[in-house]
Amino acid sequence: MNPNTPIAVTGIGCLCAAGANLKQCMDSLFAGRQKFAPPARFSSSHPVRYPVFEIPDEFTFLGCDQKSDILRTARLAVTAAGEALGNAGWSPATMQEKRVGVCIGTTVGSAMNNEGFYRDFRRGCHPEMNAITRFLNSNPAQVIAREFGLKGPCQTVVNACSSGTDAIGLGAAWIRSGICDAVVAGGADELCRVTYNGFISLMIADDSICRPFDAHRKGLNLGEGAAVLVLESEDFCRARKQPARAMALSYGSACDAYHLTAPAPDGRGLKQALLAALTACNKTAADIGFINAHGTGTPVNDRVESKVLYEMLPGVPFLSTKGYTGHTLGAAGAIEAAFTIACLEAQKIPPSAGFTTPDPELPWSPVQHETDVNGATAISQSLAFGGNNAVLVFGKGDS
Amino acid sequence: MRTAIRGIGIVGGFGCGVDKLNSALISGENTIQTIRVKANGRKTEMPVFLCDTTALEGFIHKRALRRVDHYSSMAVLGSYLALEDAGMLQINHQKTAVVIATGYGATRATFSFLDSIFADGDACASPTLFANSVHNAAAAHISILLKASGPNLTVSQFELSVPSALLSACQWLEGRQIDAVLFGGVDEYCDVLGYSWQRFFGSNQNPCIEPLNWDLQSAIAGEGSAFFLLTRDDGDQPKYGFITDIQIGHIANGGPDIAGGTTLFLGADGHKLCGPLYPHYIPEGMRAASYTSLYGSFPVNTAFDMTIAALSLKENKIFATPGCRPNKSGLRISHLEQDLESKLIGCLKFGCNGEFGLVMLAGE
Repeated sequence: MNPNTPIAVTGIGCLCAAGANLKQCMDSLFAGRQKFAPPARFSSSHPVRYPVFEIPDEFTFLGCDQKSDILRTARLAVTAAGEALGNAGWSPATMQEKRVGVCIGTTVGSAMNNEGFYRDFRRGCHPEMNAITRFLNSNPAQVIAREFGLKGPCQTVVNACSSGTDAIGLGAAWIRSGICDAVVAGGADELCRVTYNGFISLMIADDSICRPFDAHRKGLNLGEGAAVLVLESEDFCRARKQPARAMALSYGSACDAYHLTAPAPDGRGLKQALLAALTACNKTAADIGFINAHGTGTPVNDRVESKVLYEMLPGVPFLSTKGYTGHTLGAAGAIEAAFTIACLEAQKIPPSAGFTTPDPELPWSPVQHETDVNGATAISQSLAFGGNNAVLVFGKGDS
Repeated sequence: MRTAIRGIGIVGGFGCGVDKLNSALISGENTIQTIRVKANGRKTEMPVFLCDTTALEGFIHKRALRRVDHYSSMAVLGSYLALEDAGMLQINHQKTAVVIATGYGATRATFSFLDSIFADGDACASPTLFANSVHNAAAAHISILLKASGPNLTVSQFELSVPSALLSACQWLEGRQIDAVLFGGVDEYCDVLGYSWQRFFGSNQNPCIEPLNWDLQSAIAGEGSAFFLLTRDDGDQPKYGFITDIQIGHIANGGPDIAGGTTLFLGADGHKLCGPLYPHYIPEGMRAASYTSLYGSFPVNTAFDMTIAALSLKENKIFATPGCRPNKSGLRISHLEQDLESKLIGCLKFGCNGEFGLVMLAGE
């Protein structure tokens, strides 16, 4: 298959603080609801309680045995996968007959960092091994494959905050190269004290609600969630008469090779990734209806992104959805890809939450109001620790 | 799919570089060290394979390495050795991707970060340790030091990390967006791993790994990195041959599809939970070898077997399986160094949950 062949997105699942499924999330976005609060599931000795976007307890985690001892991240991933596979019209029997791969991005979901276990270990308290066993049983891609009986390759991408975007791009490539008939691709991450403290230590967390691209932005708020896309070859989904919700047109990836935690000021890696993605699907700025930016709300990230978008995609409206979800790390790229597709379907984008005052330092600002989309193509992009940049281009599907 | 192997770089308990690996393979002697681990209420001695990365200072000034931890140092050293071996250390790496497989990531930095919180409170968490604890820190350090601006990917799939990540590395080459991939596997030893080892497997450890004694728990923890400079097949004969196939599967759906004439390098590393899968799923009479007793047990050991396979293809010989005891598996194990029967080597790894990965290498 041609390396630039479009791949059909036939199902989407998503949950985060904004909603228990994709529809609820989109309703929240267009209603302007932002559900943030200090963390309820863990405490902290910080004098300031930094807000987070936590998934409420009343959300049901579908599609997995509640008794199984796996990490929250894996549960989130399975729940999103269950929604996506149902949405794609796949029956368990059909899935098990085909070569269906799983490619999932995460950060926390692959980290062996159980605080209780390690605290006891340090004290010489001879901790039990449940925490380690749970970690070993919770690889998100493996858990999804196990839960749904999928037979294709498994890959858990741990590319920090671009993991979800990378996982979708790589999953689509598996179909193009004929390794898989379909791929369950996305990202999942849970909130945890370790990353909460980590981002605060880096001084890039905002002690109030995040304000991506705003003149008064101070940093990010963490969130949690998962999103999964069901990817199939176009021929495959046509044969089973399943409409494509969108087409995954291309993926670009590049590294700044500049700094471990800060993006290159000239945005060189993001430019390279955008160029690669646009070239691969033969699109130009004129074809792009909107961009779902990474837009974390940190001063540096937003400056670089605004500059690059102004230079490479002038005039194209963009937004950040992190004001609705928080920064969900390894899930962020997948959640934003899901939102991008839903916005393409609705032919409108919500206001970029948290943005009210343009920053004179930024050459280009996000949309402040609900905006109609002109065009059948959109971009979702992620920047990450390590200087990773990942870009997905989606086209409208059949619906 | 044919991906050319242009250079290899390896860092293990036996030392670093192809020459050290070669010496270890010829001598068959392991370099097991002993450390003291507290578990089960008492301190016991535990055998382990540990790496020394001081050779990295031969490539990079110490100052540039001051924030690079042990996990990343092993990866950076492996990648520089692979580039040096390929004669490509000085080239422009703008179109080079970095792809890393890791089972557990930067565990020492992860726990040191927790130490910083426990010692002085949440407000005193160390940002440097946090940044280095992220799984893709090693790949990021490599890209930064080499100015490699191609795609950068880290994959963590436990025992299947290497074949899974290799799948994407080879696809990026096929897609022609890049000219080369620095691909490697890296995992590090840490105190928590030592404790876990004692708790899971007991403190009476076998003095060496007996990979072919399938039912014996003889695994000895190890660490290290193994890197490859990979390019597309340009029609020439690369130094170490080609990667020709990658299979990833689960025994629930059938075992690996192994071509006749293949010599298998078994990733069996002394874990009795997965050891018995090898003789069960490998056709009787197949020629096989195992070298895990030379470098230890850790999730990305398939990358080490790939390195030995690449070296075997270059030298046109199979190194003797070290410490080999007679076994009842029905496999033909190489007790002595022998010529290759065919230029086809498969590196096979079974995970403890029945998953498997097979990476095929061919000499031409």
